[in-house]
Amino acid sequence: MTQIDKSRFEWIGSDSARREGISRPSTTFWKDAIGRLMKNKVAVVCFFIIVLLILSCIIVPFFSPFESREQHLGEVNKGFMTVCTDSRYEGQHHVHYFGTDNLGRDLFLRAFEGGRVSLMIAFAAVFVNLIVGLIYGGISGYVGGAVDTIMMRIVEIVNGIPYLIVVILLMMVLPKGIFTMVVAYGITGWTGMARLVRGQVLQLKSQEYIVAAEAMGAKSSRIIAKHLIPNALSVIIINVTLAIPSAIFTEAFLSYIGLGVPVPQPSWGVLAKGGQDVFMTYPYQLVVPAVAISLTMLSFNLLGDGLRDAFDPRLRR
Amino acid sequence: MNKVLDVQNLHVSFDTYAGEVKAVRGVTFSLSEGEVLAIVGESGCGKSVTAQTIMKLNPMPPARIKEGSVQLGEHDIVAANEKEMQKIRGKEVSMIFQDPMTCLNPTKPVGKQIVEAIQHHRHLSKAEAKAEAIKYLSLVNIPNPEERAKQYPHEFSGGMRQRAMIAMALSCNPKLLIADEPTTALDVTIQAQIMDLLAEIKEKTSTAIILITHDLGVVASMADRVAVMYAGKVVETGTCEDIFYRNAHPYTQALLKSLPSVDMNKTQRLVSIPGTPPDLLNPPKGCGFGARCTHCMKICHEEQPPVFKVGEGHEAACWLLHPDCPSAAERGEPDEQ
Amino acid sequence: MTKYILKRVGYSIVTLFLLVAITFFMMQLLPGDPFTGEKQLPAAQMEALYAKYGLDKPVWQQFFIYIGNVVQGDLGVSLTYNRAVTLMITEAFAISFDVGIRSICFAFIGGVLLGTLAAIKRGKAADTVAMIIALLGVSVPSFVVASVLQYFLGLKLYMATGMRIFAITGWEGFNSHILPVVALGFGSLATISRLMRTSMLDVLGQDYIKTAKAKGLSQSGIIFKHAMRNAIMPVVTVLGPITAGILTGGFVVESVFGIPGLGKYFVQSIQGLDYTMICGTTVFYGAFLIIANLVVDIAYGLIDPRVKLEG
Repeated sequence: MTQIDKSRFEWIGSDSARREGISRPSTTFWKDAIGRLMKNKVAVVCFFIIVLLILSCIIVPFFSPFESREQHLGEVNKGFMTVCTDSRYEGQHHVHYFGTDNLGRDLFLRAFEGGRVSLMIAFAAVFVNLIVGLIYGGISGYVGGAVDTIMMRIVEIVNGIPYLIVVILLMMVLPKGIFTMVVAYGITGWTGMARLVRGQVLQLKSQEYIVAAEAMGAKSSRIIAKHLIPNALSVIIINVTLAIPSAIFTEAFLSYIGLGVPVPQPSWGVLAKGGQDVFMTYPYQLVVPAVAISLTMLSFNLLGDGLRDAFDPRLRR
Repeated sequence: MNKVLDVQNLHVSFDTYAGEVKAVRGVTFSLSEGEVLAIVGESGCGKSVTAQTIMKLNPMPPARIKEGSVQLGEHDIVAANEKEMQKIRGKEVSMIFQDPMTCLNPTKPVGKQIVEAIQHHRHLSKAEAKAEAIKYLSLVNIPNPEERAKQYPHEFSGGMRQRAMIAMALSCNPKLLIADEPTTALDVTIQAQIMDLLAEIKEKTSTAIILITHDLGVVASMADRVAVMYAGKVVETGTCEDIFYRNAHPYTQALLKSLPSVDMNKTQRLVSIPGTPPDLLNPPKGCGFGARCTHCMKICHEEQPPVFKVGEGHEAACWLLHPDCPSAAERGEPDEQ
Repeated sequence: MTKYILKRVGYSIVTLFLLVAITFFMMQLLPGDPFTGEKQLPAAQMEALYAKYGLDKPVWQQFFIYIGNVVQGDLGVSLTYNRAVTLMITEAFAISFDVGIRSICFAFIGGVLLGTLAAIKRGKAADTVAMIIALLGVSVPSFVVASVLQYFLGLKLYMATGMRIFAITGWEGFNSHILPVVALGFGSLATISRLMRTSMLDVLGQDYIKTAKAKGLSQSGIIFKHAMRNAIMPVVTVLGPITAGILTGGFVVESVFGIPGLGKYFVQSIQGLDYTMICGTTVFYGAFLIIANLVVDIAYGLIDPRVKLEG
């Protein structure tokens, strides 16, 4: 064995700075989640696509020279990038970027105005669901006992009725319009959210860390702010994000079977239906609404997936 | 006696997003027929990874055997491909896991799961395999084995499930049985029953057993030899007596001090080991225990300690055992309180 | 188990009753009555019809008469076709059922395989491709899929090759079945494959898979003998909603492909304000879905041994 110099055996003792080998900087729940979300490039891109879509649907119609119900009967079913030849716009060199439909209406403007309507219906419907679900599920979970049992039985029964069927019936009875669509979707779609909220409340009520926080003397306001809200909120945010594409789909579906918003008003569903009718001859008319619907649904789905991953503490690395 | 298992200088790493985690960093031990070896260490020290590597159970990638050899009977495990491993697993070496609650498939009757193992390795008819399964269930003291074999895991208690797992593991007469923390998830009384059962198996069969645990109390009752692991390395091996009464490594000493014992007087307090094991993404250059060791010396941070022979079959890896190491006073180490 | 089934059946009956009630009271809210169509019937005939359907009685009595009629399978007379709604439904639904069953099989088998493949090849190219397909399926509405398939595989392929590989419309012969079934099943296939992937990954991470591997089973043995059945269970629970999706999706896909199924008639009756037909079809669809859900629930109880213990 090789000789080792005595000086190397000098005593140091345990080293408190070095001995915490496995440790990582601590962060808050939200910082951590947002950090993980930002690392998910797909989700970030989807988030920007959604923002861009919403903003352009709000802004673009203001800058269009046309009106959404304005018919240019001289230029019916014209393709993409057709220069406007209507007498009212002579010499102004306006372009129908997405062409015109069978009544000569500008599809570029109608796509964005349709987006306004579709997105508004989707957001409003999901908002109604959220409110109803929060109240119903919150009461059910918070009160508990027999009330909870009865309320959940009701949910189970309502849930058993196919929602599209009820929506169709409601749409038959109520006057056509955005408001009716929101009501119809709201009446049937809240059960999922109610169950979710109830589940969260129940889980949080019995969670040991809540008991632990109470035992350590945390104030209830602090418990609510630091524990209840972040946990319940993450689940709700994910669910809302994933509910929006389903609402958009419902709007498109109802418009497609003839129960959409009333006639002159465009929505993506109405435009898709119009495009579908002439698809074999003028396929371009379906392309824009189809892409708009698909892109929006895709973005919300991917963002929802990203949020789910970001909020899941098990996926922490 | 025949050597059943020979592990030489085993290095296992995991390739993760953060980098290469060196989970096992040079582990050497061997096992003879009928012998019980206990591998002891705290969570994350690499004991389970070592055990799973013997069966190549950890998914590769991310796991990777970087270096070393594992010889199981006549089989070279490191070189064996998946097909060969499928013949070895369950037949030559089998394993029981920590949590019997999750280790049995909840949608298959218990008997069927044992029959599956028997039919896979032994060329028996279905009826014969069934009879064998029932025989092994009664061997592990399950009452009404015929009835029990038809039941699903959720109809078994935790202890019973672990017995069934043991029956399954033994059903093909393996040369080696690896028990990975077999009692950790069980009640104390059930723990004793399972340990008694393992001791019984040790008596009745020639199967060698590797017992992985972080509970030194479990070790004392049945192990022939003990290997203490820390940060992916074996820091000390020896007989039970060596480890409990003649231990030479500061980690073993600290580990024993953290155990409550009956003959402790009331004023004594349990001593915990301050700090946590090193991050195996960037393992320290020197001794893994250095930063937490009260005897730590300059050299401990500079160079990995080699293995020193302490007694017959008793080895430890610590610079304190180097023949040139001066006395505590000369090193400048204050007296222990 | 018996208790479980009885409970499920009980829920279904209440739900069915509620559905019939909703439909009935919606009908009351509609303008006019089922017999004031565009073609005015002679007064005597009207009165006979009123008496037959009890429209001269108070609403609550009418309700019970309606329930009685529904139970007996009498859903009224179609205003546009002047035929018994029940008769039309039974005729047209045979086709819709054919389309739907094929689509569900396509979606289930395809989704389970695609999801399993993605889970086994996690993080590899096959996983990425499978999940892109699944994402498209979840995000693209069925009428878009239908139109695209019809345009490219039905029309353009025919124009390019001169061979009728896929029929553009109708429901006769195998080559006319493929496009509607794919269009109708694609979304459900996507949902199932996403669910199956998650579920399979979850199961593959379970300890009992490690036990099976430690026994010496091969990868395929583990997948088929241990993982598949357990991973499919969560998929079975969504078969109810999937059936609903396929059924309602059928309205659209049948219209696009001109398949003479119930979905197509339903859309026509909505557009033509054929109220009896709408209500009859609604009750029929609702009842069908509620029963389908019941079957799925009971089937789930049968394949998962753990359900037996609970009530």
